[in-house]
Amino acid sequence: MVAISQTGLPPKTRYAKVRSLHWVLICALVVCAGLSLQIGATDVQFTTILFKAASGQVLSPAEQVVFFDIRLPRLVMGCLVGAALAVSGAAMQGLFRNPLADPGIVGVGAGAGLGAIVAIVLGACLPLWIQEVTGNQLVPVAAFLAGWGSTLLLYRVSTRNGRTSVATMLLAGIALGALAGAISGILVYVADDRQLRDLTFWGLGSLAGASWAKIVAAGPMIFLSIAVASYLGRGLNGLALGEATAEHIGIDVQRLKSIAILTVAGATGAAVAVSGGIGFIGIVVPHLLRLATGPDHRTLLINAALVGAILLILADVIARVVIAPAELPIGIVTAVLGAPVFLWILLKRRGLVEL
Amino acid sequence: MSFHARNIHVSYGHHQALAGVSLHAKAGEVTAIVGPNGSGKSTLLGAMTATLPYEGEVSLNGRSVAGQKPWELAAQRAVLPQASKLAFPFTVIEVVQIGLHAGTAGAQTDVPMHALARVGLSHYAHRNFQDLSGGEAQRVMLARVLAQVWAPVQAGTPRWLLLDEPVSSLDIAHQLQVIDIARDFAARGGGVIAVMHDLNLTALFADKVAILAAGKCLAVGTPTEVLQDDILSRTYGCTLRVCAPPGDERPYILPHAASA
Repeated sequence: MVAISQTGLPPKTRYAKVRSLHWVLICALVVCAGLSLQIGATDVQFTTILFKAASGQVLSPAEQVVFFDIRLPRLVMGCLVGAALAVSGAAMQGLFRNPLADPGIVGVGAGAGLGAIVAIVLGACLPLWIQEVTGNQLVPVAAFLAGWGSTLLLYRVSTRNGRTSVATMLLAGIALGALAGAISGILVYVADDRQLRDLTFWGLGSLAGASWAKIVAAGPMIFLSIAVASYLGRGLNGLALGEATAEHIGIDVQRLKSIAILTVAGATGAAVAVSGGIGFIGIVVPHLLRLATGPDHRTLLINAALVGAILLILADVIARVVIAPAELPIGIVTAVLGAPVFLWILLKRRGLVEL
Repeated sequence: MSFHARNIHVSYGHHQALAGVSLHAKAGEVTAIVGPNGSGKSTLLGAMTATLPYEGEVSLNGRSVAGQKPWELAAQRAVLPQASKLAFPFTVIEVVQIGLHAGTAGAQTDVPMHALARVGLSHYAHRNFQDLSGGEAQRVMLARVLAQVWAPVQAGTPRWLLLDEPVSSLDIAHQLQVIDIARDFAARGGGVIAVMHDLNLTALFADKVAILAAGKCLAVGTPTEVLQDDILSRTYGCTLRVCAPPGDERPYILPHAASA
């Protein structure tokens, strides 16, 4: 056997180095949060409010409304949605062993989109008691239920004898997506002009509707999902070696799959329900982190949550100021910024451009 | 202590891959499974590792495998697959550490580096696994498997290495190195079960050989007992001559003609 003196000390692995990245990202998140509270359509400034609070002065009603009812809930919701989408993306990529998997791959996106369209177009036809229970939150509630429901359906379809086939899930997801698209098409066809406009804006995504009520509804689900997902790191690392090998090194693969799928459906469903279709976060964030710090899911999942929150807050700041006092749907910002960055990463990786 | 498969049946659709095969492997020995392509060697290993559904009974160190949790089994045996694919760009050392999931030690120990050194690849620790050649990747996977069951005997219970064609993509020096590793593991009290193609290497390192053909076990015994002209020629459907060098009872096999 080779003497250990020849091999030297165990090398410091990327894992040990990357763990300290948490703190850097948390600091960055705090800075971005401050920026998000500072900048907006009105000239209410976070620094002024901090100064007033520190010196015991009373805030003006306008400042109270802008700060506590608009900017703060918007910031919290941006964090929640960004983190949920990025963690879900990282978890799905680990589960499907493919860096191009999207949180929507488990049917959440298609289902939630259909739910939203049904609520927008047919909401007025629903029984009165449903409309009373949901109030003006009918669209998010319907989107969440339909997103979660379609994932459960996909999960059932692709599970035989207690084993879930991710390949079947992928294919069945495409079929289900096409079906949801067709039904949506019918509803779009019968929708009136105002409904069409609502539909379009829902699909582009926005944090403009942020409210404490939505945060209370979606927050616990997203928090729980991220907390659960952050414990899937070791299992997903094992899964990178294939399902059989993961089982051989002691991972309960079926349990891992169920937990991953259900938490992703919960987090993505809640995020999509409150903010509409925000693209690219789920793919770009884990991909960037993998390039920067390696593919170890034990750090990737939690760092993805932080980077997802940071990016979505920044995107929201841009969405608010770029055409102030109006604002852009945030899905446009994430796509306009995300798509070129993603293409650049892809080309750079393939050595086609030297930047 | 043993790894015991009794009366194993496995079917793929209508095709019966294994029809009532039994294998009794003892700790402290190297047991080789040989046979032609499609004879059910890897299927038998798959049943013993509960990778595929089977009928029959498999017991590990006296306890039935069915009903044991993956992490309980992983602490007792490690499995080297025929081919390995990796989904993300992990480094070599990270791949070996993944194998420690249910093992005796956490990822912070130096077991992964010892395991890499054992297969002669410690200088590759920070290379990207996906950039390695087929043979190098196979040796890294062997290191991962070794790290998982680093001590061949734990708390008085032997642990097991199940190797599916461990030398198939290796040059001759590394073939001999793998055989050395397996013999050493058995000599220190662990058990080794290996699916093999190379009959000469099998004769060199196995204590016991099981010959499979068409889903049935044709013969079991020491290499000298089992590796015989008539048995091999019947199994493989070609003419093989078994010889023994003077002063060495281990047989070696010469291919002779493509027909029996």
